[in-house]
Amino acid sequence: MISASVRIAAAPEVVFPYFTDPQLLVTWIGERADLDARPGGTFAIDFAGTAARGSYVAVEPPDRVVFTWGIPHDAVLPPGSSTVEVVFVADGADTIVNLTHRDLPTDREPSHRDGWEHCLADLVAAVGPSR
Amino acid sequence: MTPEPEEPGAPAGPDAVLRALADPHRRQILRLVQHAELPAGQIAAHFDLTQQAVSQHLTVLKRAGLLVERREGTRRLYSLRSESLQPLRTLLDEFWPDALARLKQSVERTHPRTERRGPT
Repeated sequence: MISASVRIAAAPEVVFPYFTDPQLLVTWIGERADLDARPGGTFAIDFAGTAARGSYVAVEPPDRVVFTWGIPHDAVLPPGSSTVEVVFVADGADTIVNLTHRDLPTDREPSHRDGWEHCLADLVAAVGPSR
Repeated sequence: MTPEPEEPGAPAGPDAVLRALADPHRRQILRLVQHAELPAGQIAAHFDLTQQAVSQHLTVLKRAGLLVERREGTRRLYSLRSESLQPLRTLLDEFWPDALARLKQSVERTHPRTERRGPT
């Protein structure tokens, strides 16, 4: 599991669309985005040389957004196999963005998956498919 | 003078580690030796590869600092050098923080406040 947070000098209403509007999302991650921000809708980002694919699980403006995350054709981390949850907490006039990237249902994962393989899966998510 | 260090003193950087990991056979080798020290022959037996090909994979992993090689008589035994994964953990730990830092920059540039707060 990876957690990260950042304080942004803007209200949650301002920050939230940066996770749901393709034009705003590409200002900070990826080069091209295809987003359909409703539960079940497409979440697709293209990076230089790779891609992240998933779908929105929860879209609750301006408090929380959850989407799945994976790499097409990757056996270790296929689309849908990990989940990113982003929670927006107002703090005065600022927003604290808390992001958690975790693997999805453990019941879908073989029980022998251990920390090393988690590490590898996360790596693939972070740097793209290894080919 | 040997051209390649048998056991690097310091962990390799993330680039060398990533290149070494960018091959399914080499990742499989690491899984094999993750909990057990194995001789090269026993590692090769898991693959449909020539001993020479396996030996080349072992060399790449060794150079990246991912494997420890130990000689026992004529045998060479390999095991995972777990601390070599540290650069990757660092890289992973940086992915989302880096992205969020860019998010912060993007939002605050587009929506500047008249009263700026001090850095917190």
